[in-house]
Amino acid sequence: MNSILYYPGCGVADQARSMETAARGALGALGWEMEEMERWNCCGTVYSLATDDLMRHVGPARILARVQDAGHEHLLTLCSMCYSTLKRSERFLTEERDRLDRVNAFLDDEPDYTGGVRVVHLLELVRDEIGYEAVEEAVQRPLSGLKVSPYYGCTLTRPRAVGVDDPERPRVLEDLLLALGAEPVSSPQGVECCGAYLTASAPEVARRRAGAIARAAARGGADLMVTSCPLCQYNLDTRQGEAPGASAHAVPSLYFTQLLALALGADPAVDEQVIDPRPVLAARGLAVEVKA
Amino acid sequence: MSAEQDMIRIYIMGKAYEVPGGLTIMKAMEYAGYRLVRGVGCRGGFCGACATVFRRAGDYKLYADLACQATAEDEMYIAQIPSVPAERASWVLTELAPEDNPILALYPEVARCVACNTCTRACPQELEVMDYIQAALRGDIPQVAELSFDCVQCGLCAMRCPAEIVHYHVGQLARRIYGAYRAPEAGHLAARVQETARGDFDQELDKLEQMSKDELVELYRKRDVES
Amino acid sequence: MADAYPRSMRESIGRVEATRPERMEVEPQRLSLEERREVLDSFHPDYKEGGKRKLLVGPSRGEFVPHEMADLLEAYPLIDPDQVDLGQVDHEVDVLIIGGGGAGTVAALSAHEAGIPADRILITTKLRHGDSNSMMAQGGIQAADKEHDSPPIHYLDVLGGGHFGNDPQLVRALVNDAPEVIRWHEKLGVMYDKDTDGRMLTIHGGGTSRKRMHSAKDYTGLEIMRVVRDEALSRGIRCLEFCPTVELIRDDQGQVCGAVLWNLETEEYTVVRAKATVLATGGWGRLHIQGFPTSNHYGATADGLVLAYRAGAGLRDLDSVQYHPTGAAFPEQIVGLLITEKVRGMGAQPLNVDGALFVHPLEPRDVESGAFIRECSSPEQGGRGNGVVTPTGMVGIWLDTPMVDIIHGPGTFKRELSAIWRMYARFDIDPATDPVLTYPTLHYQNGGVVIDATGATAVPGLFAGGEVSGGIHGKNRLMGNSLLDFNVFGRRAGIAAAEWARQAKPGRPTLEHAANYAQELQGAGVDRERKAPSVLPEYRGERTLARMVDLI
Ligand SMILES: Cc1cc2nc3c(=O)[nH]c(=O)nc-3n(C[C@H](O)[C@H](O)[C@H](O)COP(=O)(O)OP(=O)(O)OC[C@H]3O[C@@H](n4cnc5c(N)ncnc54)[C@H](O)[C@@H]3O)c2cc1C
Ligand code: FES
Repeated sequence: MNSILYYPGCGVADQARSMETAARGALGALGWEMEEMERWNCCGTVYSLATDDLMRHVGPARILARVQDAGHEHLLTLCSMCYSTLKRSERFLTEERDRLDRVNAFLDDEPDYTGGVRVVHLLELVRDEIGYEAVEEAVQRPLSGLKVSPYYGCTLTRPRAVGVDDPERPRVLEDLLLALGAEPVSSPQGVECCGAYLTASAPEVARRRAGAIARAAARGGADLMVTSCPLCQYNLDTRQGEAPGASAHAVPSLYFTQLLALALGADPAVDEQVIDPRPVLAARGLAVEVKA
Repeated sequence: MSAEQDMIRIYIMGKAYEVPGGLTIMKAMEYAGYRLVRGVGCRGGFCGACATVFRRAGDYKLYADLACQATAEDEMYIAQIPSVPAERASWVLTELAPEDNPILALYPEVARCVACNTCTRACPQELEVMDYIQAALRGDIPQVAELSFDCVQCGLCAMRCPAEIVHYHVGQLARRIYGAYRAPEAGHLAARVQETARGDFDQELDKLEQMSKDELVELYRKRDVES
Repeated sequence: MADAYPRSMRESIGRVEATRPERMEVEPQRLSLEERREVLDSFHPDYKEGGKRKLLVGPSRGEFVPHEMADLLEAYPLIDPDQVDLGQVDHEVDVLIIGGGGAGTVAALSAHEAGIPADRILITTKLRHGDSNSMMAQGGIQAADKEHDSPPIHYLDVLGGGHFGNDPQLVRALVNDAPEVIRWHEKLGVMYDKDTDGRMLTIHGGGTSRKRMHSAKDYTGLEIMRVVRDEALSRGIRCLEFCPTVELIRDDQGQVCGAVLWNLETEEYTVVRAKATVLATGGWGRLHIQGFPTSNHYGATADGLVLAYRAGAGLRDLDSVQYHPTGAAFPEQIVGLLITEKVRGMGAQPLNVDGALFVHPLEPRDVESGAFIRECSSPEQGGRGNGVVTPTGMVGIWLDTPMVDIIHGPGTFKRELSAIWRMYARFDIDPATDPVLTYPTLHYQNGGVVIDATGATAVPGLFAGGEVSGGIHGKNRLMGNSLLDFNVFGRRAGIAAAEWARQAKPGRPTLEHAANYAQELQGAGVDRERKAPSVLPEYRGERTLARMVDLI
């Protein structure tokens, strides 16, 4: 068994448990184990663009320092928002010695961060470390005939310097879907924003965005959309479902970890969703059960 | 206290006093002549009335502790925080549903936590305060309840927090939700309450109430003790 | 790190460790009732010559109480009745609660539940709401709620502990309401220690015949007090802080109808008119009877006894003082602070300087304390001279705290007795690996204001609950029965006050009873300088006191 230190983040630890359960199962099938950090705090969620707001980097710096303190080099995330925030913060802090020194001085009696931790998204781990071939070999229940529209959102690929793939023409999800036997149907809306946190202050914006993303996916003939972030997933599911007249052409969405788990014969941990993905899965011969 | 104790110098709100070494900050202030009204309660580390901040000579750090528990040291600069302005959000336990998680709705400022850990450093109980606020942020009520359990609500965390969170109110909310709704109910307790309400023990108690002292002493002598 | 214990104490710890394996094997012996009597008669401070005197005036004239208490009961009003204008009313309510500790807060909640609107209830208190003995209780609360236990079994334990001097009706109320009280707490969100199925984790306390001590780690009082206070806040029940009551107000028919408070900060008086008044001012630890240190909070100065007595209520059982056997005796900074009986409940044994067990760890408190004092007293004083002497000359008994982890598994002490662990860790002592030194500390007021089972005193309109009242525990309270007491009788007093308030017709308010009492005192030749209630203890340095002048 290979093992990698894992940072859940608040969204996964609270609302998006299924994303993690599925990831654990899938990785287990691939011979990998996720070892959760003993203590962790919020990554900061939204990466601060203010270059003099060092306080915003204290949280991420502590996480990185603990990774280092525990003798690890890599830190795995599932949520693309956490991935982005942590990775950007890591770069920002190590870019200029002075920033790191000040944050370390503030951290005071806690361990220092000296740089060098690599924040890894699970999609990267699968692509670069495990390899699609190995995934293909491990597939037990090919997702044949399932048409899936990859939804990248913003933080998985942007900014370019930290993204896991090309921000305009990413293909990491497409490649993974192919390895699982599914049929990717790329959509022009796949790299547009889902409305993100406007979901709290202006839900109608998120509803509109989710509707547009879903319609684009449907036009491409997709059965499903696939996401890599609890917030995107919330908007694509709940907000899409709330939009007036949504039910007629609603497109369900799942986490990529869930499709991975499904194909590898692990528990896909499908919860109750606003837009139930089970009918389309069942229609493709991939019936799943929802745990009570 | 031994007679030949060494005297130390402390600064109470900036003013120097000579007091014997080895006293708590609270007793040192009293020795110096303060009759405490504010900043004192249980004198045993339980009530949180005696929140105190201090610096040591030659040290930039601002320390926080309970005056009734911390020992006064030579060249200590002491100020008490007799009251912490903080509002308890308005909520009623019975109006919450068992599965509710109202923390962020009632205390939205929790979301302002930048994980600076200043609260943790200020806590005289050495609780993982930031960790429980972080747990609150992700809705982990059992974790908040457990990590905040030993809180004496002195308010030092709230006074030091740059995000202006009132940690101890958050902990109180989580603990009550946990205790009332998340912890499993005691079945034997509910059963016993039914029995007492029904009067199941009334006859036996009537009898005991009527007994003479001698009879009671006899019964007491013969009682069996659970091992 | 330097050893926190000096060499002589460390050597004695060596002997404690040497006897430990053998002690772990044998079940300690309990004393017979006769042996208990002997220990009490010869070594309990209550039985010491010259510690008490007969009251000269008042409803309990002729009864013995400790000098420190008599000095306050035989004292003139703090505030001159003629200086107070009772016509200027600051607060007018249905139910006034005096004392914002456990009993007071529970009374307020209960009056509210009995139908009094929140804005017609007023809690008034000396320090902050919750600054009280209730907040400090560590070990636990008794309730007979397990299958093999019952209120009648609990009843017998309470009586035996109190040397059969208790009021049977009060004991009955105590044990009968106990399960309901715990259930009420559970619903309010008190986090009791439970197993994963919800069964309460209960242990023995001194003098219990069943394991019925419920706890919330070793912060049981803190947890209960925090919750009831929070509940009062959520219901909008107000609390006036830093306003101790200095006199009760009676009307021309002798009913209590409010109180005169004194603002500790602005030094002005405040008049509260109320239809019913609940006295919940707690105990007397800060009187430092016979010079003992105390485990009690700063405001435990017996004010309620003084107020009620002057207003005509009788007192009982004040001749007996509870000394808790395990007050801290080292280091100096924490002398007198409590080490909960739960530590002995979990297996720690009391040992002398040679590491020998000289008494069963869980005798009733008075017996246990007497045995500690006998072990520590010199042979000239009739004792055994086997105490451990500290560098500052305190003498004490080891409490073999490492036994807790040996019995219950590593980490137990730190987890379940975190308050005590923390208290010692500050001084670089780890009670999970080293024993701690203890000596009896003044802990509880066994007696108090006479009440009936509803919480009513002999004075119409005045109710009382909690440590201020007497009769429940007879001559000695068992651990876990006073947290219970403040809940049971706080609740009963709150309900009775609510009922009283509904039909009460207060007449013309006066302070004549205080003036009359002063006259009685004068008749008995009591020194005019002596005033009460004392409100706060005096701890200022001698130098300051000697030079103090009132100038501006
Ligand atoms: C350290 C310690 C540990 C204990 N452990 C246990 C235990 O494990 N189990 C157990 O059952 N019992 C225990 N007890 C005893 C128990 O805590 C108390 O007996 C009980 O809480 C008393 O409750 P009360 O409400 O009557 O008084 P308190 O809680 O003391 O409240 C009285 C309140 O009245 C206020 N007051 C006093 N005078 C005035 C005035 N003139 N005007 C207005 N307000 C006034 C006080 O400031 C205080 O707030 C312990 C006590 C102590 C001190
Ligand atoms: S006085 Fe209560 S904690 Fe210090």
